[in-house]
Amino acid sequence: MSETVVTDLRPLAAVLVSAIAVVFIVASYRYPNVREGWSVLAALAKFAIVASMLPGVMNGTVYKWSFAEATGLDFVAGVDFALRADPLGMLFALLASFLWIFTSFYAAGYMRGLDEHAQTRFFAAFAASLSTAVGIAFASNLVTIFIFYELLSLVTYPLVAHNEDSEARIAGRKYLTYTFFGGGVFLLAGTVLVYWLTSSASGTDTATLEFQAGGIELLTEAAAADPAIAQAAFYLLIAGFGVKAAVMPLHSWLADAMVAPTPVSGLLHAVAVVKSGAFGVARVYLDVFGLEFPTAYPLSVPVVGDVPLNIPVAILAAFTLTAASIIALRKDHLKRRLAYSTTAQLSYIVLGLSMLHPIGVLGALLHIPAHAFGKLTLFFCAGAIHVETHTDYVSEMAGIGKRMPLTMSAFTLGAASMAGIPLLAGFVSKFYLLIGAASGAEVAVYGLEATWLWIFAASLIVSGVLNIAYLWPVVYTAFFESEDRHDAKPVFEFPAGGERKSYGVLEGEADHDIASDGGSDDSTRKDRYAVNENPSDADVPFGPGSGAGSTAAGENPVAADHDDTDQDDHTDEHHDSEANEHHETDDEEHHDDHHHGGAPLGGWERRSPLTFAESTWLMLMPITVIVTGAVTLGIVPDYAVFLELADTIVAGVTGEGVL
Amino acid sequence: MSSVELLPALLVVVPILLATVPIALGLRYDRTGWSVTLATTVGLFAGTVYLATVVYGGSGTNQEVAVIHELGGFTAPMGIELVADTLSTMIALLVTGTALGVLAFTRVGGPRGNTFYSGYLLLVGGLLGLTMTGDVFNMFVFLEIVGLGSYALISSGRGPEAAVAALKYLIIGTVGASIYLIGVGFLFMATGSLNMLDLAATVPTLEGQNLQLARAAFAFIFVGFAIKVAQWPLHSWQPDAYQHAPDGVTPLIAALVSTVSAYALARLLFTVFGAEFIASTPYASEIIVTVGAVSVVAGSTLAVIQTDVKRMLAYSSVSQFGLIVAAYGLLTETALVGALIHLIGHGLMKAGLFIAVGIIAIGYGARTVDAYAGLAGERPFVAGSMAVLLIALVGIPPSIGFIGKWYIAVGAIEAQSWLVAGVIFLSTMLTLAYVARLLERMYFTPASALEAGHEDTATVGHAVTDGGTATVRGTRVTIGMLAIVIFVAALAVFLGFAGDAFFALLEPFVESADLEVSP
Repeated sequence: MSETVVTDLRPLAAVLVSAIAVVFIVASYRYPNVREGWSVLAALAKFAIVASMLPGVMNGTVYKWSFAEATGLDFVAGVDFALRADPLGMLFALLASFLWIFTSFYAAGYMRGLDEHAQTRFFAAFAASLSTAVGIAFASNLVTIFIFYELLSLVTYPLVAHNEDSEARIAGRKYLTYTFFGGGVFLLAGTVLVYWLTSSASGTDTATLEFQAGGIELLTEAAAADPAIAQAAFYLLIAGFGVKAAVMPLHSWLADAMVAPTPVSGLLHAVAVVKSGAFGVARVYLDVFGLEFPTAYPLSVPVVGDVPLNIPVAILAAFTLTAASIIALRKDHLKRRLAYSTTAQLSYIVLGLSMLHPIGVLGALLHIPAHAFGKLTLFFCAGAIHVETHTDYVSEMAGIGKRMPLTMSAFTLGAASMAGIPLLAGFVSKFYLLIGAASGAEVAVYGLEATWLWIFAASLIVSGVLNIAYLWPVVYTAFFESEDRHDAKPVFEFPAGGERKSYGVLEGEADHDIASDGGSDDSTRKDRYAVNENPSDADVPFGPGSGAGSTAAGENPVAADHDDTDQDDHTDEHHDSEANEHHETDDEEHHDDHHHGGAPLGGWERRSPLTFAESTWLMLMPITVIVTGAVTLGIVPDYAVFLELADTIVAGVTGEGVL
Repeated sequence: MSSVELLPALLVVVPILLATVPIALGLRYDRTGWSVTLATTVGLFAGTVYLATVVYGGSGTNQEVAVIHELGGFTAPMGIELVADTLSTMIALLVTGTALGVLAFTRVGGPRGNTFYSGYLLLVGGLLGLTMTGDVFNMFVFLEIVGLGSYALISSGRGPEAAVAALKYLIIGTVGASIYLIGVGFLFMATGSLNMLDLAATVPTLEGQNLQLARAAFAFIFVGFAIKVAQWPLHSWQPDAYQHAPDGVTPLIAALVSTVSAYALARLLFTVFGAEFIASTPYASEIIVTVGAVSVVAGSTLAVIQTDVKRMLAYSSVSQFGLIVAAYGLLTETALVGALIHLIGHGLMKAGLFIAVGIIAIGYGARTVDAYAGLAGERPFVAGSMAVLLIALVGIPPSIGFIGKWYIAVGAIEAQSWLVAGVIFLSTMLTLAYVARLLERMYFTPASALEAGHEDTATVGHAVTDGGTATVRGTRVTIGMLAIVIFVAALAVFLGFAGDAFFALLEPFVESADLEVSP
């Protein structure tokens, strides 16, 4: 397909629109409704700008804005600061900007539902994150992508450390360390190496860092002269992006980052941030080195012989997707369980790309949106459960389907999509991944390459089964168990190796569960007798169920009085001036109390799915839309633009599409 | 002699002469120092800007565009030259610009008194002289003037620590200058000349014993400047000096004194000795690179464990200058450009950071890392500017900090000096270690939570007392102070887009240094 490059301001506008929104968000800190209005407006504008470029990009036009053309100056000598909307960039930008629209509604509902502190900072950082994520998508060379990659790490840090307690601070430190090690050390080192390689290969001292579909030509020439350096650059770049893609052993920041509010875990730590890593890996394979490079310059390993460069990466990814799924089995905390699921699913993408077969690449690219829709649904549901019932642990969710029928139904669909059940998004991408592995094995050249590809295919299937194994218990306990009659969850409640005594549903166990503890010794779930236990009480001021709360509160008058006052203060403050954030910090203790959940005394209240009474529309609407997206991608992938876009990308790299 | 050729001399002589005015007027009027200094620095800044338009407006090699003033009309190599070439003009811009900016702080933030402003002008004059001089002995003279100015300003801090710090700096600094002078002596023995350009022509022709003398001279000069630039392990004067100097003095010293010394080192390495000489002297380049690389690691490590913010930033300077010195030693064009950009960028960022520290000490009463808790909520503008500057210091793009780091990294890779390249890439993490610590305190640690735990510890108590006394003296945070910090922060980001422009401006000098592109 011929490519026409058109100079256009829209890639820049798409990046800047939410950066400008940051200013307005901060400026309107006194008026929460106006502030959230800016978020939504920026999200809509961003999506509109990105979508307006879609028809052109599908027809082979590339929109480009360049700092050098605009000002006559390079960013640093020999390297331009340029943004360009090509098919691969569009895939990521379209996805991130589309999902942001709904996340901004959801975030408003979530943050208000929990009466969170520092909301202005939260929304400002969120908008900035989207700005940088689209910057990563549209970056047209390694330096530009590096700039936005670093900025993304920076602006998401306030979101991770949002809670301002020691757990959040430690998670924030870990987050900064990992992401800057990835960006500032690995990625920068790789970029500089590529700069040096291309500038010495050009013979004129001019370097090329500009992405080219199918690989940078000068780099291929340089690699022929100095394969060792090119290989080092390859691995440095992969490692740099691999950190954000949470490929083991660089994954542990992701689970810790789950202390962030759920909209962050959802859009950023399941879509924008982590996918920027996977996206970067795609850029490295497709547009920096090209698909031929890894096999053309294999590593010669003693004993084993020649190993193509992609195989070690693929092995790590295959290991990650299996290991992370197994770890997820034992996570009782729902968000952490989902985080390990994300770790596993991201490695699908990395694995698909590393198999180098066009069909595998197509599957990997398609898995970017497929996983995004599924995982965002799951996180949104987890967040809605947290806001409405303060339940975070799977072991406390028995019978929660009664309380949140719509949410849990959406969760079920999302979980099925994760597991790759047909008619859902996850199936389509996994299908192509498996075909890719099998077709790759057919054309394998190196000794053990085919064997490895079959092993990868097997690991994909095993991981699919594990997906069901760790997500089904959530659905099962929500719908098919009740708060007073439920089984123990031996896999994640008991110590590894099993409990020494027998277990089963004991008389009064359910009561015990509620009154004392969820059977876990987790120290965050102390102080279990406060009325905060009561889900409906915490609905104030947005939840519909404050009436029901008073019954439960009556049983515990002293605590209830205390808490009511607290809540009232909070409500007043909330309405009067949300800007006054100092007060919010005093309430840190109060927030900590939110960390325990489970069914209230007397069991879950039954809410009808038809009345939409289980939560606010601000949260239910996004859940519904996103899960519909996951279904649409699964049933009619041909009509949901992403498949075609992914095929265009593959066609750009290999010369012809696979469909 | 055209009028523009008078400018280099005026830039040096005017502040030194006017340094006497505050004292003289002080006999009659109490508060004239600031006004006189303001008028002088505005004049100096305007003069430098005009000089810059002439130097950068010209086309040709570094020597052709340079504005040269021969003092007293005695021609080189006998007479002393003042040279404004593409490099020294840029440093002069930094000196005069920073000197002007810091005045915005000292007007209300102190220190006060006419003698302070005399010292201020003396220091600025000395720095400009050090920047412009084209004579190695004359450089020693200005080194001493700068030293005297700094000792005086540091000792004007309250309390005995300031006196001790000044004395320590005086002793170590004088030793450094003396070692340099010994080097100059050897160089004079070897070549019979003191003029830099003359030396540059002579040094490559040296043979036998004269070559040995020149090598000895090189060793003395490098060690002398390693002290002045505060390279580990010769840095010990610097943290004390930065920490105990008055808040209005630290930005000036931190941003300019070490920077101009590091500039002078570059001038000696690349103009006087030349890359050829360093490359042919056994282990010279390796030693320079090692000193720099070790300073990077040692400085950052020491910075991480500090409790006092000024001291932390002082150790940060040790590490950042380590980066610059290591880049000198790489002997590639790109690394040299990177070092020079980082020199200017670091000066700018540190000036802004130390002014911010001063503002916070006045307005929030905080001096230790712990006491910075909750700053973002209480003082959003100064905390925000400080955060931007700290992030720029880490080298996160787009910022001036990144530009310098990028060129140095490319230079290290071009030189195929993998160890240095590793240190440079890791320096991001090392810098992040202390920067993140401060950011976390400012933004994600509620003040109340921390104070409850630390209420009766000495650190917070000290900080509160400090703030208290400040209020008693009538010191307050003015709009001007805030404006200057915000301006510097914005400039640090804005210059992040000027990497190519810097390269173009410095190119004539770098080409004159005659480095092989990839040795």
